[in-house]
Amino acid sequence: MSAADLTPTEPTRRPFTGRRVHFGDLALQLVAGTAAAGAVALVGLIVWKVIDGARPAIDNYGLGFVTHIAWDPVKNVYGAASFLFGTAITSLFALALAAPLALGIALFLTELAPRVLRAPVTALVETLAAIPSVVIGLWGIFVLGPVLRDHVEPALHDTLGFIPLFGTPSSAGPSVFTAIVVLTIMILPIVSSICRELFLSVPRELKEGALALGTTRWEMVRGVVFPYARGGIAAALILGLGRALGEAIAVTQVIGGGVFIHWNLFEGGDTLASKIAASYQGADSNVQVSALVYLALILLVFSLLMNVAAQWIVRHVARRQGVGLDRAGPG
Amino acid sequence: MPNLGTSIRTIAALALVATLAALAAATAGATPAKRSGTTLVGAGSTFVAPLVSQWVAPIGAAYGYELQYSAIGSGGGIAAITARTVDFGASDAPLSPDQFNACNGCVQIPWGLAGTSVMYNLPGVKNLLHMDGPTLAKIFMGGITTWNDPALKKLNPGVPLPATKITIAHRSDGSGTTYNFTDYLSSVSPAWSSKVGRGTSVNWPVGNGGRGSSGVSAIVSQTVGAIGYADVAYALASHFSYFAMKNRSGKFTTPGARGVLAAASSDQKPDPTTNALSIVDPPKKYPLAYPISTYTYVIVPLQSTKAPELKKFIFWAVTKGQAYGPKLRFVPLPKSVLVVAEKAIKRIHS
Amino acid sequence: MSAHSLTKASLRAEGLPRRRAVNRMMESLAWLAAAVAVAILGVVVYSVARRGAPALSLDLITKTPASFSLTPVKQGLANAFAGTLVLVGLATAMALPSGILVAVYLTEFARPAIRSAVGLALDLLNGVPAIVIGIFVFGLFVVGHGQSALAGSFALACLMLPLVARATMEVLVLVPSSLREAGLALGVPRWRTTLSIVLPQTIGGIVTGTVLAVARVAGETAPLLFTSSLVGTKVSWNPQHALQSVPVAIFELAESPDPQDHARAWAAALVLLLFILFASLAARWLATRSRSRMGASR
Repeated sequence: MSAADLTPTEPTRRPFTGRRVHFGDLALQLVAGTAAAGAVALVGLIVWKVIDGARPAIDNYGLGFVTHIAWDPVKNVYGAASFLFGTAITSLFALALAAPLALGIALFLTELAPRVLRAPVTALVETLAAIPSVVIGLWGIFVLGPVLRDHVEPALHDTLGFIPLFGTPSSAGPSVFTAIVVLTIMILPIVSSICRELFLSVPRELKEGALALGTTRWEMVRGVVFPYARGGIAAALILGLGRALGEAIAVTQVIGGGVFIHWNLFEGGDTLASKIAASYQGADSNVQVSALVYLALILLVFSLLMNVAAQWIVRHVARRQGVGLDRAGPG
Repeated sequence: MPNLGTSIRTIAALALVATLAALAAATAGATPAKRSGTTLVGAGSTFVAPLVSQWVAPIGAAYGYELQYSAIGSGGGIAAITARTVDFGASDAPLSPDQFNACNGCVQIPWGLAGTSVMYNLPGVKNLLHMDGPTLAKIFMGGITTWNDPALKKLNPGVPLPATKITIAHRSDGSGTTYNFTDYLSSVSPAWSSKVGRGTSVNWPVGNGGRGSSGVSAIVSQTVGAIGYADVAYALASHFSYFAMKNRSGKFTTPGARGVLAAASSDQKPDPTTNALSIVDPPKKYPLAYPISTYTYVIVPLQSTKAPELKKFIFWAVTKGQAYGPKLRFVPLPKSVLVVAEKAIKRIHS
Repeated sequence: MSAHSLTKASLRAEGLPRRRAVNRMMESLAWLAAAVAVAILGVVVYSVARRGAPALSLDLITKTPASFSLTPVKQGLANAFAGTLVLVGLATAMALPSGILVAVYLTEFARPAIRSAVGLALDLLNGVPAIVIGIFVFGLFVVGHGQSALAGSFALACLMLPLVARATMEVLVLVPSSLREAGLALGVPRWRTTLSIVLPQTIGGIVTGTVLAVARVAGETAPLLFTSSLVGTKVSWNPQHALQSVPVAIFELAESPDPQDHARAWAAALVLLLFILFASLAARWLATRSRSRMGASR
């Protein structure tokens, strides 16, 4: 349930009723109300502070910042285009890899798994979500990265090298490809757990009705479950995408860095979030800091848009099933 | 069964508290922090970090100050002291006029002197291969991509060089070492100077970025054929080979005490306003000089609440602290620079 | 229901073998997907355990990091473990009361319009990337004043707040209205009913939510990079200083060229992982127990 959907059952929620107004009631309402107002103010404050920090860069570079491919601290020329590209390519490919896996896992857990396996496997998949991103990044640097660099990337290049995506592997470990695999692992549990709850909420009569008509289980899933849940699935995918966009730490550890737009996944690159993480501490001029906050602003706008879009889909397209969209905070 | 539930909950809570208490006791048992003195928080150059980290214990013993230094790169140090989020900043790149203005009343004091080594990972090939400036610039611009390139062969006649691909490791963060290195490349290669230039953070034509000198060392250690640059202490700690660089007089020198000291004699007079010195690519008449040497500076506000402590600390650093340098290949400050440093320290007030 | 897959034509008996084959393939793929997920978890946990266990020793939590040296020195991460305790403890102290109060306001007092507005704010807050929260708190508290564990804890609390608030709301809503009405009927004022009758029913859910939130922020690195990363090597419990934390320590050690540093990073990752796994399991167990108790109390 999204926070905005919860409906208390009792009808008497008027602030104060009756002639005698207890001071305690007023006090509690005031204090609790302040907390709630504070939460709203916090969101506004975040947006305002980020815009404020980015203002020098916005004044300097304007909207052209978004289309400019550059990051030159010597000449003070900055642009977000290569990082937007990096963010798009890593997040979208990660989503493309994670979506079928997540749907498969959700189907497995709701339709196929023997009763005794359901709870443990669900717990295991959710545990994957609990692993901190710095630990996944550490694993990515020392375990995944070398395996991909030494075995997978050359193999892909040899077989599918005609596709520009699978160009010449770079000699150092870090690459956009490693980052994509890491992001896939990180968004997989979120998307799959939302889909799992979605599939559980499909009315049994609909599913049994299809099966009674002689469909195979896959046909039932394709004809009943997916269409019923399609809004929720879309929302889950968007939330997964939002999570992937915002991931800074694990990505910066494995992606290698670079300010260019190229299709070769086996070279290094940077996303909005990973560039901020890599460069913020070392930024030595106000212009550079402000350019980095400008990147953060772009990231913030996208994340908020994704969030709002997912909520909107849930409200208007998906059926109200008490779906848990709550776990999807980007890291 | 509410009773069972409550007791389970109580036991779980007690266990958690006990674990936390045990953890707290264990960690508190570690070096008890000397709470009596002031804490001096600093950040910046990874180049000087090996030396500053040696100062933590003796400064604590001498004055009771707790020295906290974080090696986040010279760029970060400059930003941090400008924003006054630290008590002192450290940078190998001298402040530019704009940075001086932004820092709003800061003074820059040289407190370290060492060389930047250009390290490489090429198993089976000897240490101290010969290299010169223009070739190095070409390599870092992507013009030379394999170790058995004719240019490298010419510099190292008789040394068998493999066909391994050259991977460049550079700094991804704002780095004084980068400033020193690119300063050198700019003075030996007009192509580099116009295409890339000098700075704490530049638009690298090729290569992989690592954070901090540790990050660059990590790339070099994990990639056969890699070339990177860092303070020589990092090369020594990781047992890397590094190049003997050709200086203006044609000799191949190394970033040791002799080479750095000779380079330091090429500029004995710090700039009167900024106290900066430039000893990169010294002229011909210093045949022993290592061409990629640099001073490194501490940057403090002229006026601060911790002025007395900062004065004592920096004075100690430029005098007694220099004794901790030689084993890390830092050269003690020459007399003329020491005089200027002491004068600058006197200007700090509360 | 999409009609195309259930047409008479597609359900004809002659097509059955092919349809069964497709079905079997899809089912195998689903099994495979689940196996892949479990395998990934297994590989990651195994890597951390295999590389971390050899470096796990009492030194890790009793010794502090050593100065730069050209030869290996026995050292540990005591300052990081102490710092994480302080950071997470303070963050919980900030987020727990605020989260409960927000939840109480939304369920007991707010009109539907306000409820959706605040609910939206909480969801948006949950969706802000941690690194942006770090930049926000940096601009708010660190510029001009310096880093501190307080600033770091505040950043972590911003991440915890939506989780605690939502968990509390979920259980507050489950408290039957009969309980509230009984209290009011007996003349107990609203505030007393809420605090002494309704909230105690929800403790299980609140604890579960808090434990999950703690597990989440214990491993957060990005916000601390901006607020509590310029740290010393000594163990300190002073929240006015920037304190080292386990995730930031792992992040920094991972970039070092020294294999000993890597070993310590793996060991710290193992401790962190064990703590988070333990906390998640505990939360899950508490959740099932409190859910059954709530059901029993009806």
